[in-house]
Amino acid sequence: MEFEGFPPQIADQLHYLLNHSPDSIKIESVCSGNKFNPKILDRFTLVIPYCLETIKWDVIYNSEYAATPPDFIFGPDDEGFMPCSSTIAPDDGQTSLLEKALSEWNNEDSTRLLVLIQGLRDRYVAYQRSRVGQVDDDRVKFEISTVLTRKGIEMQMTSGVDKPEEVKFAVPLVMDMSINKLVVGCPWKHEQKIYLQVVYPILRKIESAPSAPRLRLVSSSDLRSLFSVEDVKLPPWIDGMCLAEYLPHLEETLERQILEAVSEIFLRRSFVEALTPFLGRPLEADPTFCTKASFLAASGPFTFVVHFFFSNQFPKQQPTLMLQSCQHLNQFSVPVKSSLLTEYPWSPRWEVGRMAERLCDFLTDEAMNFKKYCNEAML
Amino acid sequence: MDDLSLEKIEISGPTLASLIQRASSSPGNVDGLIFGQIHRIVSTNLSDDSPAESFASSSSSDKIVATVTSFLCSGKTVSFYDPLGRVDSRRIDSLRVDSPDRLLGWFSARRKTANRPSMRELAVASSLSSQFHLPIKDPENPKSTNMASCVFILLTTPTTDQLIHTHEYRAYQFRYSNQRLEPRSLGIVNIGPAFREHYGSFSPKSGFPPLICEVSSSAMNVDHDEGSLSAIKQAVKDQKEIDALADGLQVGNLKRLVGAEAANYTGGIEEMYERMLAKVESLALEVEKSSARVLELDNHNRKLRYRVARIGR
Repeated sequence: MEFEGFPPQIADQLHYLLNHSPDSIKIESVCSGNKFNPKILDRFTLVIPYCLETIKWDVIYNSEYAATPPDFIFGPDDEGFMPCSSTIAPDDGQTSLLEKALSEWNNEDSTRLLVLIQGLRDRYVAYQRSRVGQVDDDRVKFEISTVLTRKGIEMQMTSGVDKPEEVKFAVPLVMDMSINKLVVGCPWKHEQKIYLQVVYPILRKIESAPSAPRLRLVSSSDLRSLFSVEDVKLPPWIDGMCLAEYLPHLEETLERQILEAVSEIFLRRSFVEALTPFLGRPLEADPTFCTKASFLAASGPFTFVVHFFFSNQFPKQQPTLMLQSCQHLNQFSVPVKSSLLTEYPWSPRWEVGRMAERLCDFLTDEAMNFKKYCNEAML
Repeated sequence: MDDLSLEKIEISGPTLASLIQRASSSPGNVDGLIFGQIHRIVSTNLSDDSPAESFASSSSSDKIVATVTSFLCSGKTVSFYDPLGRVDSRRIDSLRVDSPDRLLGWFSARRKTANRPSMRELAVASSLSSQFHLPIKDPENPKSTNMASCVFILLTTPTTDQLIHTHEYRAYQFRYSNQRLEPRSLGIVNIGPAFREHYGSFSPKSGFPPLICEVSSSAMNVDHDEGSLSAIKQAVKDQKEIDALADGLQVGNLKRLVGAEAANYTGGIEEMYERMLAKVESLALEVEKSSARVLELDNHNRKLRYRVARIGR
């Protein structure tokens, strides 16, 4: 990230914020409010994850008076969010931290912006929760009262002229295991978590029965290399159900599926290992999740690289192959590659040794086709 | 304390223009105080087309209108409040100096930002409303009522480069009951027949001292002012001010402008005006010189500030 246009102290604070925030905050719409030096940047928008969506807060520094703490403009729907208003009595340690950070501002201290943003975000959580609490909807009131014992739930009230009124919950799912610890050689910095987003449409008085909420599983993008939450089939929401009933069952299902996904890593690894008697040691392989591997192969004097791509559905779904010549370059001086190959003899019920053997038989035949294809591509 | 809603906020064209000019010529964000008056306007609607409801045929409604007459720019931000938005009344007193009008509220000007109130602006409006109350002038009811409220004017420039307009302004009233800044329409009052009705609530005023023409040795005056030494002192002081302006010309001499002596006398008057003009010109020259010096110091200060903030130029 480039912070060149910012005064050094603002740049330090931004650096610290983006690198140390528990949420992955992004920065956009950077501009300058300085008349004489429009190259000195001092205002920007922070995109902050909240309730599995994002909120945008404008941060305004004053480059003319760099020692002044920044000011904030919140979203157009959050008119009622007044974190510094005297009417909100500070009732815990965090609230006074925010006030302290503002009134005893020190622009030499690079941690201050993070303290401010976290303090404001904590107040925003409380603000949204109180907004949701004021919604006149029996179901939402019941859900809040039964689910509040869970930690870390974020809520959001959306309403507007053209939008229907909705209440959103982001529920962190609790599992008896740490996903990070299950993966050998885990590369993730943060603990992987899966959240359930629940959206309740707010009833208008004329409607009688509440409709089922919209459900969506969300995970960090890192988790996708192990397990894709989009592929999970959510258990059905039965009429009259509540979240407290629904969650334990979902958590159990997910736990089982994640354990399965971890055991599939071992299956993929053993398949890659089974290929070595035929193709030699892999040139390159993903050691953590075994999602891809590349081997050097030869058919007579013709040498080529075979790339294997594994889906999370392995061995149910066979790996996708791609061949790449070591001897043929096309007109752009790029090695000639085959298209993706998925049509070849395969059965998920075979032993890994047999899978490897059959696949190499197929490769022997395919090598001839590929050589011909390469020679044609050269012309 | 009444929590009344303002019908609208009015500002004269020159005041708004000068406010925008001040905002756009400032190097960074600025804030300041705005002054003016609040009037209760009683409008009566007489209608004669529904005789059945004769008792309700005339309905009167009170409208409360705030009129911005002047402003004072601090030249920076966080001038009369702290970063948390808590207003310091001593800093307001030192800023307002001797503005003849009542404190109506404040303004904030910031470039390239969204045109809605920020966190601090809301907090300042809330704090200002709780410390200063707006007195409402009511011609029919001299006992003035107060409003725990304040007016806030926000000046911004668009975040994206648009060709349509370069400056945006919005006016708000802070409502104590719901702690919100509610948008109000900002009426611009200009001179001309179309705007005549706007002047209904204007009370004319002038900073010129009251003219007591004959403070001299009239026996009757001495009788009148026996007891009040301070009144005499004030009158003498006023007379001195007038004499300084008139450059020694006696008010009594003005009667010579009519009649036989007039032809000789006009030359003297013209000479006096010429001397006054020369005085004004030299004053203007001095102002220009000192403005240049102020600008020089301002630039120097900015350089020092940049050095403190380690901003390379």
